[in-house]
Amino acid sequence: MNFEHDPTTPEHIVRRDFVKQLAAAGAASLLAGEPRSLSATDHAVKHPEATADSCILIWMGGGMAAPDTFDPKRYSPFESGLEVSSMLSTFPAIDTAVDNIKICEGLENIGQVMDRATLIRSAVQPDLGSILHSRHQYHWHTGYVPPQTVACPHLGAWMAKVLGPKNPVIPPFINIGQRLEGVGEKEELKAFTTAGFFGSEFGPMNLPFPEQASQSVQPPKGMTAGRFSNRHKLFKELVKSGPMKERASDYQQESMVRSLENAYRLLSSKDREAFDIELEPKASREIYDTGRFGRGCLLARRLVESGARFVEVTTEYVPFLHWDTHNSGHDTVARMHSEMDRPIAQLILDLEASGLLDRTLVIIASEFSRDALIEGKPGSNANDQATFKVDKITEKKHYGLHRHFTGGTSVVMFGGGVKKGFLYGKTADERPLIAVENPVSVTDLHATIMTAMGISPKTAYDIEGRPFYVTEDGKGKPVMDIFA
Amino acid sequence: MIKNVLLLVVGLSFAAEASAQQKPLDFAHQIAPILKRHCVECHGGDDAKGGFSLNTRELFLEDEMAAPGKPDESHFLELISSTDPEAQMPPKGKPRVPAEQITLLKAWIKAGMNWDAGFTFATKKYEPPLRPRRPELPPVVEGRANPVDRIVDAYFAKDSQTRPAAISDAAFLRRVHLDLVGLLPTAKELDEFLADRAPNKRAKMIGALLADELRYTEHWLTFWNDLLRNDYGGTGFITGGRKQVSGWLYQSLIDNKPYDQMVRELIAPPTPESRGYIDGIKWRGEVSAGQTIEIQFAQSVAQSFLGINMKCASCHDSFIDRWKLSEAYGLAAIYSSRPLDIHRCDKPTGETAQASWLFPELGQVDAKAGPAERLSQLAGLMTHPENGRFSRTIVNRLWAQLMGRGIVHPLDAMQTAPWNEDLLDYLAIHLQDNAYDLKSVLALLANSQAYQSEVESLSQDADVSGYVFAGPRAKRMTAEQFVDSLWQLTDSAPTSFDAPVSRGNVDPAEVAKTKLSAEWIWGESANGGVPAAGEQVAFYTTFKIDKPILSAGAIVTCDNEFALNVNAREMAKGTVWTQLGAVTLTTALRQGENSIVILGKNAGATPNLAGLYFEARINFADGESLTIKSDSSWQFASTFPDKLPVRRWKLEEMNWKPVTLVPAPDVWKKAVEPVGPEQLVRASRGSALMVRASLLQSDFLMRSLGRPNRDQIVSSRPNDLTTLEAIDLSNNATVAQALARGGQRLADQDWQSPDDLINHLFASTLTRLPGESEQTTVRQILSDHPTSEQIEDLLWALCMTPEFLLIR
Repeated sequence: MNFEHDPTTPEHIVRRDFVKQLAAAGAASLLAGEPRSLSATDHAVKHPEATADSCILIWMGGGMAAPDTFDPKRYSPFESGLEVSSMLSTFPAIDTAVDNIKICEGLENIGQVMDRATLIRSAVQPDLGSILHSRHQYHWHTGYVPPQTVACPHLGAWMAKVLGPKNPVIPPFINIGQRLEGVGEKEELKAFTTAGFFGSEFGPMNLPFPEQASQSVQPPKGMTAGRFSNRHKLFKELVKSGPMKERASDYQQESMVRSLENAYRLLSSKDREAFDIELEPKASREIYDTGRFGRGCLLARRLVESGARFVEVTTEYVPFLHWDTHNSGHDTVARMHSEMDRPIAQLILDLEASGLLDRTLVIIASEFSRDALIEGKPGSNANDQATFKVDKITEKKHYGLHRHFTGGTSVVMFGGGVKKGFLYGKTADERPLIAVENPVSVTDLHATIMTAMGISPKTAYDIEGRPFYVTEDGKGKPVMDIFA
Repeated sequence: MIKNVLLLVVGLSFAAEASAQQKPLDFAHQIAPILKRHCVECHGGDDAKGGFSLNTRELFLEDEMAAPGKPDESHFLELISSTDPEAQMPPKGKPRVPAEQITLLKAWIKAGMNWDAGFTFATKKYEPPLRPRRPELPPVVEGRANPVDRIVDAYFAKDSQTRPAAISDAAFLRRVHLDLVGLLPTAKELDEFLADRAPNKRAKMIGALLADELRYTEHWLTFWNDLLRNDYGGTGFITGGRKQVSGWLYQSLIDNKPYDQMVRELIAPPTPESRGYIDGIKWRGEVSAGQTIEIQFAQSVAQSFLGINMKCASCHDSFIDRWKLSEAYGLAAIYSSRPLDIHRCDKPTGETAQASWLFPELGQVDAKAGPAERLSQLAGLMTHPENGRFSRTIVNRLWAQLMGRGIVHPLDAMQTAPWNEDLLDYLAIHLQDNAYDLKSVLALLANSQAYQSEVESLSQDADVSGYVFAGPRAKRMTAEQFVDSLWQLTDSAPTSFDAPVSRGNVDPAEVAKTKLSAEWIWGESANGGVPAAGEQVAFYTTFKIDKPILSAGAIVTCDNEFALNVNAREMAKGTVWTQLGAVTLTTALRQGENSIVILGKNAGATPNLAGLYFEARINFADGESLTIKSDSSWQFASTFPDKLPVRRWKLEEMNWKPVTLVPAPDVWKKAVEPVGPEQLVRASRGSALMVRASLLQSDFLMRSLGRPNRDQIVSSRPNDLTTLEAIDLSNNATVAQALARGGQRLADQDWQSPDDLINHLFASTLTRLPGESEQTTVRQILSDHPTSEQIEDLLWALCMTPEFLLIR
């Protein structure tokens, strides 16, 4: 890629521009509540040239063990009496389409598309004292470690705010597969599943159940299209014939009516078919349908095809479920493999076939990795949250990587301007499996993602009189080596 | 003064560097001008590009930008000497610092970087006065004697600005209801208000609304929960790292506790009930130095009560106002029960914080006293009668609640100049004169012509050239106001809530005396058998009331579902049998013959236990009361016209049979016995106690409509309607169900004509009657006997109009 400007050049906000922008933002910010009295400052930074227009974040919530997925180490099959200290991977390595990249057994389909991927094996996270999934997820998704004095925007909200929707009808930030009610740590999940101080306009459209997504963009249950359209007509008539018509120039009123028009447009447009995975040909649906996550991948693909800007699709974080393998780690991960392998590979192939992959950045990531012995990273004082401790494994449920490891995590990226079949960073071959080459912090990872999307890591908005940056304090440095 | 000196010296030519190295450097004349010419434009005054400001020596030293005595370790010298166009300072395109001046700067650093005491490059900022001030009121104009109007009228007159027009009675009624108690006036309330000929009816209405303790409290609860970041669930509760102040807050509002006392009880809690505020949110794991609970305390206290943003200063000296790191830590140390190490940008400075507060002019906290004593001293200083910043901050918030924008804006930047100092100062004095009675300020504001005038019409570029007061600004309903309105219009409020509070004044003696006597009943399927899954039964009783009713209410539940009809009016529905429903029946019952029909439905997949429980109490003026309860005297029918509303049933012709008494298992008793007596007293004594959204945990809809997470203090709500919100309003299931229920209910009522219904809908949503063209528009979609769907859609359309969504 060829940058017009080196995105790492310090470019800071010109405060006088804030003021000008604030004024220009006019009623928009003025009508908004206090936290929204922001000024657009993106003019003040030089944005890199985008290599991607859309982004799909495949979120492995709960801590995806790198040694059991994209960073295989010495394999120890289950046997009674297996020493935990010698157990690194519980799956054997398999070949992929790229000579120097091996991944774990169970990910054969993804292996076949690794020649479209950049694999980063050296992502690292801070310990934060006590490893609480939701807290690390907050950090990963916003770039800031909670708690913060302002509500931090999710990275999807940043894209929505800075780039806007790609298709005006499709909400720019869509979040698939994560329930925010009825699950443990729901409040903590809500804390970062938000546009924060940007305000709800840039917040997520939450679609926890992919198969029900179409209902979110349909008229209320039981309402026919005809009745829905008549209801909207009545609304418009009432606006027109009411006494406020004399105030038609009132910006506040106009913008409200416009929002309702937008909603109606989506709810009655052809584009909403993108939300309906039932409309996908059966053969294709079956490839994806390994479960809720697989269906989420299909939905994500359909939405990006229709012009979604940012889509997150997750295996779902629920304490002690899915990737949060506090016991039976091996068996659970085997199930996760079978849930993720086909849909992710198919997503890449489909995007490639439609020509969208080149401009769509697909990321597989998790809040941290896992290890059989180490909580946090070597020498960490993080609370050990292991639910059991054994030196020798005698039961199958103890076989697996059950502790939270922050010293070396894998991130896979496809498309959107990243190199193909490229390996970046390295972890040690023996415990501790820490990143030994090119460690990538959460901040720099954010900078890399934002750079691909054409957003300078130094982009900032004014909140409560201070600049708030897209990467922590504007310090993120993109990993330029991974760009083609 | 300093500025003038600088201007004079800027033009001077500089002495040769050789001589400069020999004599002690004169900061003001030799160094400051160089910095002023080359650096201050971007790194001084209000600017701090790259987060670097050299306004003061302390700021200059941050991030190793300069190191006294060590030119080699002073990064700024490197930058100004650099030849790398990407790294150099001033940035490329700007003149370089001449070599001889660089030499001078090096010498200055080497010599210890002397700085004139108190010198700053910061521009002179408005500094709000600390003490209260009693402004002289301008003369009364045209009989507009309210002190607010005297000040505002003078403001208008000064710039020959036209005063905004006065609003109609109907517009006033709607605005004042929503602003003071958070609810729409009903159609009946509108009729009564319009019919009232009293010249002081607006003042009477304001008084009545403020005196309505319960509705006032449950509206203002939202404002206070936001400001004190209090909620019934949320971040931190999961690990026990957070406590509510809900019960204390609720009672304080009911009692209209003086504001200074409220704040004293929050800062120095006399009981654990109000302690949650200062204890903040304790996160599991390590947090940055800027977010420890001690620092949270400093930030919260400064923001909530003084409108001061301590967030910047809790990490480094603020760039945006005058607060310093040491002051943020001083405040934090008042709370701290351990020695508090000062951290600058998360790194320890080696100093320990001294407990101190922000305005020593009023007195100081004794750093040697224990934490409880220090907090109590802080509480005293904060609410000190000479602390005008305390009273100004809250009156500014109240003004913004009613008028749509603060006198100082933003509300949490109280260092900003107000658009009218006299107005702000007067309101603050008024609060203090009235012993910190918040309602006295609300009454003063609401009674003013300034409040009772047309809202300003805004263009997209409003305020571009500064704010000018031109009348109140329209506010969008909060999430809670919208949800309450929807519930009120459709009668679909839930029966239970999350806030740990006791609603309404229930006489404990009456509760203690209340012995429930109803029995669980079902149809004949329960007689020696087990009712089928899905079985539906209608229950029926009649009774006579022979004297005027004072008040009445009932409790009811059914395993599994019920719909209660009193005199053929549906009064309540329930689908969760473990939640005892409570309903007020004062207006539903009448002197003479009354009937009750309850539809019960069993659930499940296989036959299972089913039962209905109902007990009503009717209170009479003479102190007597009558109990109507489910028992063996009731009748049931298994076949009934369930598609029709009960009012179309021919009750006398139906096949009624005696009910079966069902022995209650423990789970049923548990659902009724612990809460039943209090609920029954409450329902039968209270007025219409609709559950309010402010008492519930946030849900999907409220979040969508801008109810904040309350991890942070929030002092204002969104004023616009986003597309995502509009999508939810268009197809959210909760909204749709409420509207459907409302449509059904209204369709079931007897209307004289469709116009009668249309008038009712306009009056209850928009607080006015429809105009001619609106009437025509609506008549086109309503048939002569409007269907529930037609009414539902009309309700939706009315509730989506900006006129409805805005408080204007």
